[in-house]
Amino acid sequence: MDSDEEDYVFYGTPIEREEEITSRKKKAVAEASGQLRTLAPWKQEVTDEEGRRRFHGAFTGGYSAGYYNTVGSKEGWTPQSFTSSRKNRAEIQQQSILNFLDDDEKGELEGRAVATSMQFDTFGFTAAELARKQVEKEQQKRPSIIPGPAPDEIVLPAADSIGVKLLLKMGWRHGHAIRDSRTNSLYDARREARKAFLALSSDDSAAMHAGFEPVKGDLDIAVDQPMDNDHQHPHSTPVYVLNPKQNLHGLGYDPFKHAPEFREKKRSRLPGNKELGHRKGFSMKDNLLAFRSGRTAPGFGIGALEELDAEDEDVYASGYDFEETYVQEIEEPLELSIESKKMLSGKEQGVLPGFKVASTSDYQLERSFCNTKSGSSDSGSKVAHWVVASGVTQQQGLRSQCSEATLGAQCSGERWRDCAAGFTRLKENNGRNFFAHFNCELLDFECDEVDEDHGAHEGCEGFTRGAKLWEAQQKRTEHKKLELDGKVFPSVQKMTAESRGKILGERPLERSSNDTSSASTSADIQLQFNLSDTFTKPASFNELPDVAKPFRDDPAKQGRFEQFLKEKYHGGLRSKDSSGSSYMSEAARAREKLEFEAAAEAIRTGKWGKETGLANQQFIELSVTTGLQFTSAGLEQGSQEEELMKKMYPKREEFQWRPSPILCKRFDIMDPYMGKPPPPPRVRSKMDSLIFMPDSVKHAQVEETKAYSDSLPVPQSGMEDISKKEADREVEVDVEVENVERPVDLYKAIFSDDSDDEEESSSVNQMEDPQKKVEAANTTLNRLIAGDFLESLGKELGLEVPPDLLPHLENKAMTSASQKENDSANKGQINAFVSENKSSSTLNTVNRTFINQDTEESKEYQRDDVVESSGNIIKTLSSEKKSGKVELGKVAQVDRINRTPSDRHRNRSSSSSEDERRRKRSRRHRHRSSNSDSDTSDSSDDYRDRHHSRSKGRKQESSREKSSSRKHSKHRKRDRRDSLGRSHRDSEKDRETAKREKRR
Amino acid sequence: MSGGGGLGVEELPRKEMNVLKGHEGAVLAARFNVDGNYCLSCGKDRTIRLWNPRRGIHIKTYKSHAREVRDVHCTPDNSKLCSCGGDRQIFYWDVSTGRVIRKFRGHDSEVNAVKFNEYASVVVSAGYDRSVRAWDCRSHSTEPIQIVDTFLDSVMSVCLTKSEIIAGSVDGTVRTFDIRIGREISDELGQPVNCISLSNDGNCILASCLDSTLRLLDRSTGELLQEYKGHTCKSYKMDCCLTNSDAHITGGSEDGFIYYWDLVDASVVSSFRAHTSVVTSVSYHPKDSCMITASVDGTIRVWGT
Repeated sequence: MDSDEEDYVFYGTPIEREEEITSRKKKAVAEASGQLRTLAPWKQEVTDEEGRRRFHGAFTGGYSAGYYNTVGSKEGWTPQSFTSSRKNRAEIQQQSILNFLDDDEKGELEGRAVATSMQFDTFGFTAAELARKQVEKEQQKRPSIIPGPAPDEIVLPAADSIGVKLLLKMGWRHGHAIRDSRTNSLYDARREARKAFLALSSDDSAAMHAGFEPVKGDLDIAVDQPMDNDHQHPHSTPVYVLNPKQNLHGLGYDPFKHAPEFREKKRSRLPGNKELGHRKGFSMKDNLLAFRSGRTAPGFGIGALEELDAEDEDVYASGYDFEETYVQEIEEPLELSIESKKMLSGKEQGVLPGFKVASTSDYQLERSFCNTKSGSSDSGSKVAHWVVASGVTQQQGLRSQCSEATLGAQCSGERWRDCAAGFTRLKENNGRNFFAHFNCELLDFECDEVDEDHGAHEGCEGFTRGAKLWEAQQKRTEHKKLELDGKVFPSVQKMTAESRGKILGERPLERSSNDTSSASTSADIQLQFNLSDTFTKPASFNELPDVAKPFRDDPAKQGRFEQFLKEKYHGGLRSKDSSGSSYMSEAARAREKLEFEAAAEAIRTGKWGKETGLANQQFIELSVTTGLQFTSAGLEQGSQEEELMKKMYPKREEFQWRPSPILCKRFDIMDPYMGKPPPPPRVRSKMDSLIFMPDSVKHAQVEETKAYSDSLPVPQSGMEDISKKEADREVEVDVEVENVERPVDLYKAIFSDDSDDEEESSSVNQMEDPQKKVEAANTTLNRLIAGDFLESLGKELGLEVPPDLLPHLENKAMTSASQKENDSANKGQINAFVSENKSSSTLNTVNRTFINQDTEESKEYQRDDVVESSGNIIKTLSSEKKSGKVELGKVAQVDRINRTPSDRHRNRSSSSSEDERRRKRSRRHRHRSSNSDSDTSDSSDDYRDRHHSRSKGRKQESSREKSSSRKHSKHRKRDRRDSLGRSHRDSEKDRETAKREKRR
Repeated sequence: MSGGGGLGVEELPRKEMNVLKGHEGAVLAARFNVDGNYCLSCGKDRTIRLWNPRRGIHIKTYKSHAREVRDVHCTPDNSKLCSCGGDRQIFYWDVSTGRVIRKFRGHDSEVNAVKFNEYASVVVSAGYDRSVRAWDCRSHSTEPIQIVDTFLDSVMSVCLTKSEIIAGSVDGTVRTFDIRIGREISDELGQPVNCISLSNDGNCILASCLDSTLRLLDRSTGELLQEYKGHTCKSYKMDCCLTNSDAHITGGSEDGFIYYWDLVDASVVSSFRAHTSVVTSVSYHPKDSCMITASVDGTIRVWGT
């Protein structure tokens, strides 16, 4: 800057304003940053961004305005009307026109409004209106399901319909039923009462009648009025009052539209008996409304990768099928019975003992009477008449068709008068102690008249019944009165036949079957039984539960039995399906019924209670016999079978099982099958498991044959032929099995095809090019040196060396010829078998398979060899058994047959001990021959194979064979001693033997 | 505390100590871990839950199964879990993280039971597909290392010893697969076998059969030593076990009861109502007099003296 200033020449004085501005700016900044804050608010200057003092207004003359030039204030800004909605949620502001009017306007408005006063309620509108309001109030008190204001406006019609208007013109008054005038009905009722009294009238009843009548007349005026209303208004009360909406369904929606049988249940659940209804509802298994709260369906999704089968469809149901129905089904009747008992418990104590529903006709009569009564008598006060009347008719009914029964008259008039007096008194009081009093009176009435006529007694009962009914009704009306101020009667229920029956503890009439669900019918049945409990005095079986419980161990059955007894001895109330348990089959039910019959008979005749023990036994016997008698394959036989089963089971079987090497490794166990060739790869498919029988089955077959052979007498030396044949048969069987399961062939087929080929080809055409043989010999030798082809070695170690398998240079023909002889000899015997085994193409294989078993033989043979050789170790072994060279075959044969039970047992392989022994032995050989013992069992198998044939052949043939074989063994022994030089020596020996045989 | 020795009847766990609630729906199995300090449960809500039964605390939930979990087992070192269920898979879990380490697939149908071997290197599972399969936990392979399919019906339960796999099947057999000698020993009981359980000395097998009978078999000879009756077991898979002293046998019943039998004379020593519904599983504490039971009613209850 300085340099710049030097270069320029300035004319005039510089304008200082620039600087001023900048300085002011600086000042403003400084002030804004620091000192301004320290100043009191009123001392502070308001400046603009340029730092100039800022004035309010458009012109620069005013002062700073507002709160720091804002519209705010020191307290900040809060709207006055704000209320937090956090605590009290938005309340609907009630607005009415009055809110918006001034006082004078209000005054004006009031003056103009027109309303009818109570005094001039000509049409009873106001009364109805009041009633409705009352109901509304009630409704508000009740916890309403639909929140918010009651939707009365929706329900109410906007205006009276034309029908209403017409009716009004015809003289109908709002709030009254559309019926003929009440005087008529009143008259009817009176007439009924009078009739009743006529029935009662005796010579002295006239006075009573006279006394009674005026009182009643008074009552009509005084007391009747409110009750009258109670009974009449319900007819015309609006629907919504009658059926307050108590569910959450939409208007007009009927959940039971297609299932009307549930409506009944639902209805019975709802009113009065709430505590019952709820419990019932939950117990009902198939109740639509009771959700399956117990079993919660885990509503989770399912893996997308999971393929769904048909069975998988019920993912959200119970995969494991833990349906509680199983348990519940047992419990349900119990529960129900408890409930129904509860239901009845209130009434039971009131029901008079000894009362019995005599016959249906009576019952019907009474019922019909009641119906007409309750229908026609619409005022509560008429109940008084009704009671009397019904009492009378009751009597009548019981007296069976005595129309104007004079029986009632038999009860003393004074008593009746007393009753009546008490009755009226109580009516005046209109209190509840009425019945206490009344009943008391009745009670001593009863007491007095115990000795009197039975009919009178019953009449009295009828009276009490009536009284009870009245009581109930009274109670109800009282209840409602409390609710409703006596104007409208919301739950209009006149006493229906049903409810009356309920109160009296009577059995309801059979409902039409189609509108009761199965559950409710069962409940009914239960109820019936309970009722029969109350109504009938089970004199003979009252003590039964204590003393005679033939099915004590099975409570359910005992219960059924008791029901059965009840049914049997107390007529009338009989349920359709006799034994209540629905889960029993028809046959079982029938059987049980028979059992029950028998038991009941036993109880009846044998006086169960007295000699319980004896009778018990008797009964048990009885039941047993019945069980036996009436069941084809019943329980008893079943139990016998069980016994048998018990003897039979547990059954132990043993099989071979091959754990996989890795499993052994993981279990830290040495593989028992180590080194053995793997089992033939089985066809793993579902078809496999379906088509083929499992191994155990085969096994069982084999065992059968074995058993068969065992059952035959063990042949001694004289019976050799038989034994041989038998042995052959066994061998056949064995061979079959072996063929199926033997893994060796397959193994060979896979791994040793060339040698096998050699084998086969050479066996077919024995004369071959010697050159080839040499090559083959070399290769085999190599293999042996390498020690990898253990099977061929095993074969070599085996006594029978197939001429072609090993490198024989010459004279193969001779040995094979001898072999052939052997074969043919065998074939002679087992032609059938060979033909069976056609599938195995070459003779050699046939031979081998045929020879498979006969381990003993092999052992013997081996031992011979060993004895001949210098092996000291094995002498101990040979000492176990006869090691005679003569008659080897025979000994072996006998030995084998003796051993069959234990030995032949394992057909898949030899028994383990055998196996192991052999394995040991072979291992020894193997050691000598400087081979790893990895192929032990297999080679031992081969031993066995070879020696079978040998033994067979020997058995059939002469001793020549034996000697030759012995010679063979010599070679072999030497072989074992030295494996390396063996081939040469072998060939030499073979040559020798061949020569020898030729000579023969 | 009272390990070993002949427990008197009064020392049997019959007092309810705790109720473990949390499962939605039926609990299908409840198992103590090796030392008995924790227990595992699994159920129809597709979860496995880990609990402290003594204090009644729910510790952890393992969720991954797509269907109900039918059995669960824990390694001796408490580090791993295996579980199986209706989704045909066996899950191999890490206990602490709650993550699935491996899923073994191969069963053709639901898997009923699962167990670790002694070294926790192999999981052996028994399935509705009539097979018992062994799965390798050490390698990463998810193929079974052994399939045993000699069963004729669903295999319900499996037990392992050091060298044997024992499995009970609905075909009425208890089969012992002896790895050491390569033998399969089949004990036919004639009744569907629901659950098998080894005695603590390893000489006996307790087999719960569907004719409402528990049968005690001698393992070496295969003979039936004793039968225990009184409970109901007809249609559910329900566990049974011996007490840790081998003096009593315990098992659930379909009516929610728990039964105790004397081992020797087969008398019902005690029975009481434990649950409102079927008792699916019982597991006895390895050392103390304590037992847990699981039920269809969704609770697990801990019982003590």
